[in-house]
Amino acid sequence: MRQDGRQVRAAEGLSENALTSAAGRTVRPADSSSAVDRALRGAAGVGLRSPHIRKVRSERPAIPWLEVHSENYFADGGPAVAALDDLRTDYPLSLHGVGMSLGSADPLDRAHLAKLARLAARVEPALVSEHLCWSGIGGRHFNDLLPLPYTEEALAHVVARVGEVQDALGRDILVENVSTYLAFAEATIPEWEFVAELARRSGCGLLLDVNNIHVNAVNHGFDPDRYLAAIPADKVAEIHLAGFDRSGDYLIDTHGAPVAPEVWALYARAIARFGPRPTLIEWDLDIPEFEVLAREAATAQAILDDSHAIAR
Amino acid sequence: MPSLAELQQRFADALYAPEGAIPAFAVAGAAPAPERMDIYRRAIFANYRKALAATYPAIRQIVGDAAFAAAVNAYVRAQPSASGDLNDYGDTFGAFLAEHPPLAALRYLPDVARLEWAIDEVNRAADDAPAPERVLEALAAVAPEHLAGIGLRLSARCRLVSSAYPILEIWQARASDETGAPADAAAAMLAVRRDPDGIVIERLPGDAFAWLAALASGATLARAIDAAQRADAAFDLGRTLHSQIGNGTIAAIVEG
Repeated sequence: MRQDGRQVRAAEGLSENALTSAAGRTVRPADSSSAVDRALRGAAGVGLRSPHIRKVRSERPAIPWLEVHSENYFADGGPAVAALDDLRTDYPLSLHGVGMSLGSADPLDRAHLAKLARLAARVEPALVSEHLCWSGIGGRHFNDLLPLPYTEEALAHVVARVGEVQDALGRDILVENVSTYLAFAEATIPEWEFVAELARRSGCGLLLDVNNIHVNAVNHGFDPDRYLAAIPADKVAEIHLAGFDRSGDYLIDTHGAPVAPEVWALYARAIARFGPRPTLIEWDLDIPEFEVLAREAATAQAILDDSHAIAR
Repeated sequence: MPSLAELQQRFADALYAPEGAIPAFAVAGAAPAPERMDIYRRAIFANYRKALAATYPAIRQIVGDAAFAAAVNAYVRAQPSASGDLNDYGDTFGAFLAEHPPLAALRYLPDVARLEWAIDEVNRAADDAPAPERVLEALAAVAPEHLAGIGLRLSARCRLVSSAYPILEIWQARASDETGAPADAAAAMLAVRRDPDGIVIERLPGDAFAWLAALASGATLARAIDAAQRADAAFDLGRTLHSQIGNGTIAAIVEG
């Protein structure tokens, strides 16, 4: 019963938000909030995690925008949702989903999608993103970002699923490349081509995680610049930065360390190639003081500002 | 070539296989597949341990990190998550602990877990602002001959938890109850409620708890009074009604 209630409310929110142009094509709200997009274009924000919510609410630090994990605000009410309602008055928000399981062969979870739609209608985020991965199969969820076999079948499947999500939300989403620790022998498409082709075919934007590109380049032995060269610049709508840990021969995307020097260097090359893009610092394990994240964001901001200067 | 669904199924089965096990799908290149699979195996269980430790801090402190980790690992295999939202996971952890041999001797543990899940749930419940005056007005407007047949709806911000063990004290002390024996037959009859300034846990008399529990399960006022009087023949309806409307536990009347 509660699920039905959610879906009804979410559907109402959608009909209010979906705009129709003279040509009859559905105009995504992302288009109508392009002022926000422009404001974010060269701005480095921070991923807001629960240990920092109280501080950010009371001190309102000068961070240009915030990103949160969508699912943590799916609740019907309560303190988390109230905090987000409060923060959105001062900060543009990005909703970053970790549980849509876009690449799963299971049917799309409509209740999950309805909760995301309800949240998006409530907080009017500047950006909505999901991961290029799957999280469960046969009704069993693993609540982690699991690797896809990069095949034509998987590509067609993810393209269709991104379309379903975009139609339900009434806006374009961004899809993020993930760190992986194994590749399927069945794969026929390099990851960078898969990512680029997904954006071309589905119309989604890309959330390019530069740390994940570095991690995968080491774990799978490819040239990260070849990856960047394959990505269409006009599809890159956001960039993520985070820290990894080394475990034996592998790099693990723990989000538990500062951004590594080689990732900063790759980021600078990405910005030189794509132009300034909204950039976000993520930290999820052994989360330090907020000031540490703010300093990481300032480092990214300096690289973004340099690229502006060069463009001029 | 195996389909996407087949590959994902094989990957899923490999995730729950022991560390070092060879997955039933081919990995690209000369990569050692078990070693690579282990990275995922370790990551998912660590993720669940962290999530459930956040929901069940008292359980973790009572049993210690190692026993808690073992319990979560077993729980995940026995009752996998059915939702892409990790916040939905863990509602049956208490019931699982009752059947989990290493901890089954701690008989109070499942009830402490149910208390912690209730706290988690009310923290995510809808924000129906308490409006006692409105409920009292609506109640006054019911014709006397219809009163017995109405129901009373409890706020989404409220859960009832009872136990034969002193779980409130255990939860507050976050330490093991060495005896494991019930303190008395009605050791804990609790209402967990989210008020505007935070979580409140109210200890209720047996009759008031029986009355609210009956109403929560959809009973009419008359049947709820019967249930309360079975707990205590001296049940004071007027006083209980006013206090439970006043504190926002009763959110609305339901016409019979």
